[in-house]
Amino acid sequence: MKNKNQLRMTTETKDSQKNQNQISIHQPAQRDSNKVWDFFCSVKLAVVIILLLVVACILGTVILQEKTMDEYTAKYGYALAAFFRITELTNVFYSYWFAFLLILLCANLICCTIKRWKNTFMQTGFILTHLSLILILIGGVVKFQLGVKGGVNVYEGKSVNYFLTQMINRQGKLDYIKKDLPFSIALDEFILEKNEPKFQLISYVKSKNRQKNLEVKVGKRQRVPGSNYTVTIKDYIPDAELHQEPINTSDIPDNPAIFVKLSGSDKVIAEGWLLAHDRNYYEDKKQSLRVEYIWVSSQEELEKAINSIETAHPKVSVLISEQGLSQDYPMELNKTFKLEGTNYSLRMLQCVLNYGDRRPLEEQPTDNPAVQVEINGPEGSETRWVFEKFPDWDKMHPSKYKNLKLTCDGIASGHMAKNIVRLFQSSEGKQVMVSIKNNHITSTIPWELEKKYTIADSNHQIVVSKYFPSFNFRKEVIKKSDTVGVPAIFVEAEGPSGKVDDWLFSNNQYATWYTDNNLALVYESMGESIKHFTSKLRIIENDQTVAEKTIRVNDPLTYKGYVIYQSSYDPEAGSFSGLQIVKDPGIPIAYAGFGSLCFGVIFIFYIKPFLRKKQKQKVEV
Amino acid sequence: MSLINITLIVYVVASIAYIAREIWNSISIKWVSIGFLILAFCLNLVMVIKRSIEAGHPPFSNLYESLVFYACCTAFVYLIFEFIYNFRVVGAFSSVLAMLILLYATLQDDTIRPIMPALKSNWMLVHVVTYMIGYASFGISFVTSIIFLIVKAFAKKDNKEAGNEKEILPRNFDKLSYKIVAFGFPFLTLGMVTGAVWAKKAWGDYWSWDPKETWSLITWFAYLVYLHTPLVLPKMNISKSKASVILACWLLFSFGIVNFTFVGLNYLPSAADSDHVYGSK
Repeated sequence: MKNKNQLRMTTETKDSQKNQNQISIHQPAQRDSNKVWDFFCSVKLAVVIILLLVVACILGTVILQEKTMDEYTAKYGYALAAFFRITELTNVFYSYWFAFLLILLCANLICCTIKRWKNTFMQTGFILTHLSLILILIGGVVKFQLGVKGGVNVYEGKSVNYFLTQMINRQGKLDYIKKDLPFSIALDEFILEKNEPKFQLISYVKSKNRQKNLEVKVGKRQRVPGSNYTVTIKDYIPDAELHQEPINTSDIPDNPAIFVKLSGSDKVIAEGWLLAHDRNYYEDKKQSLRVEYIWVSSQEELEKAINSIETAHPKVSVLISEQGLSQDYPMELNKTFKLEGTNYSLRMLQCVLNYGDRRPLEEQPTDNPAVQVEINGPEGSETRWVFEKFPDWDKMHPSKYKNLKLTCDGIASGHMAKNIVRLFQSSEGKQVMVSIKNNHITSTIPWELEKKYTIADSNHQIVVSKYFPSFNFRKEVIKKSDTVGVPAIFVEAEGPSGKVDDWLFSNNQYATWYTDNNLALVYESMGESIKHFTSKLRIIENDQTVAEKTIRVNDPLTYKGYVIYQSSYDPEAGSFSGLQIVKDPGIPIAYAGFGSLCFGVIFIFYIKPFLRKKQKQKVEV
Repeated sequence: MSLINITLIVYVVASIAYIAREIWNSISIKWVSIGFLILAFCLNLVMVIKRSIEAGHPPFSNLYESLVFYACCTAFVYLIFEFIYNFRVVGAFSSVLAMLILLYATLQDDTIRPIMPALKSNWMLVHVVTYMIGYASFGISFVTSIIFLIVKAFAKKDNKEAGNEKEILPRNFDKLSYKIVAFGFPFLTLGMVTGAVWAKKAWGDYWSWDPKETWSLITWFAYLVYLHTPLVLPKMNISKSKASVILACWLLFSFGIVNFTFVGLNYLPSAADSDHVYGSK
């Protein structure tokens, strides 16, 4: 061990001695004036400047640049924001100290190039690269001093003779400065071309929290990446529509429903299905008439119910869609109700008569009654508002327990409706219609299908035209046309609980879950993307058209040193075209720099070694 | 099994073959290892070509496509060096590097999306291809630097390893690293310049201190420093042996900057204002 270290020591000291020798050779020749010159010529200075520039560049991307003082204060706090402003860290690349570094680099490059200039062919690369950087820096200075860059929005058929530049002023606020153009730009036509809509099928495996796109290809069985599910697209319709036809599936009244028609003088006012276990009432907009459909399971219950003028007790109903299970719960705040036969439980947190109203309950109008319900289930708890007047609200909003449908009723106790018509039906087949007016029963009569009854004190007539003991929907997907409209795919998913299939519509914003609630599929549009946007421009000078061009991104129009670019468009109506106007007299210098830089590095690293090799071979020969 | 998985496996096999070649040093294994890497490269190239046909645009418009192309370039650049210089163990690391890049690609969203108008330019092709070849060479120089540092740390000083004359020994990999960087640096420069010209055409300004632009400049500076330091270090009383270690470490650091410029810019606060940081989706 010792030996080895000693060995290394000796070699190192040898090396350093050699270096010292080199330095001492130069030292006697050095004078004071030469010291400065040598300093500016040194590669060491170059390396130090480059490293400092690297640090500056990093700061310039880590700290947000050219924002208003308000934005800085909000993000970094007042003290730090003030510090950034004083040190110009809010505008690193245009700061005095950054400019100083660049000038220093430039001086270093010039000195270095002069010092090493030997005018040999082999040096071409060295001279070109170092000169190129000087040219690029000069180009940049010209751009900064004489160039302008700004933008303007032009409406179709209009013209402009100015544009606006943006800058942060001394107070740290955003300023727009109007710059006049020596000509005007007329926009004759603006064309926004969109890509054909594209659709994607996204899979999501919850246990792995992994989202992946699947191929939309009919007939191909594909594995959902990172899982044991397989998905097969069985059918595709480019423009589909879902028809839901109400049907009766059996004679057992497990989901009784009636079709009710309300008509005025020769005119149907309203018609629709009332479901005893779901949406079981209709109320007109003026709240003057309410029709209820109430299912009772025994004769006793029926007799009790038809004599009661009391409106329904406030209650929350829960419908579990897969199991067809429906249950009602009385409105009792902060009591936990267990849903029988499931592992869900409910708790009503608060009740309001007018959602969003901050007044005490007694003072609230019964405009929008709602209950806030907490649902506890296998996926944890979820809080949901249930609205009496918008029973379908929860269907339309994202939630954890999509399969639970909650409705509430009777919250605005003592209904506003003056007339109430209650259609009772019992499991024994008794059908009774009770009319209530201003809290008094006015009539109790049996009702029959297809028979018209006049509602007392109004010119309304009511008919129950259909009765389905077991109401259900038959889903049917229809092809509307062959062009891409609302595409739908018929997907079969296979997993631990077997095969399941369903239609996925591209306009359905909700995921469709596989029965184990672990795999979700969404078929959706990838968003309309812009293919091209072009502006047909005319340059007008002294009332004469002097130039004309249809510009697009990557293809600008140049006139009198101004270059007009297509930069944006009106995102809403697509009626204006966003133009960027740039004038940069430094371009030829900078581009000359670019060219010589490219040629220079190629020379140094490819041509020179090649030539060296040839020379060597010659010498050897 | 998908093409990307097969390619990944072939890269792994190639890497194992290279390690076997390092152990037994036989001519037959040499050709087996090169053969596997060429096969992996070809499969990777097929992926690139297939993608560009399916998408209808050059195959580097999003992160997934760029990574697949990057892996392909890494294998390509390594193979070039394999035929110029006869080095061995680098192949194992290089194919692992290409494999890792491809593996990272599998984590990205591979949906074909329509490209935005600014990307529809012939400059894009030149810009990306030159950049990727540059990045790939820096990847290989990263590998050679690691091997150099490992050898430097563990091998005996005067170990005269047997080998034929053409072969570059790992303890001389500092010189090799320099040659590889010298190969890649012009590509990096061309990539940056063509990017500037393209930006001028598309956005009206060849340089606007966008985070991506700034970081590509940082990358360029990092390798510029690497190319200049051999002129500086001897004057600073630093021994050759130490200087080579410093330079190797600097290359490791610089490759970190390359990767940050390529995929890490999303983490910058200024990324939201940028015109060309890969979307985070």
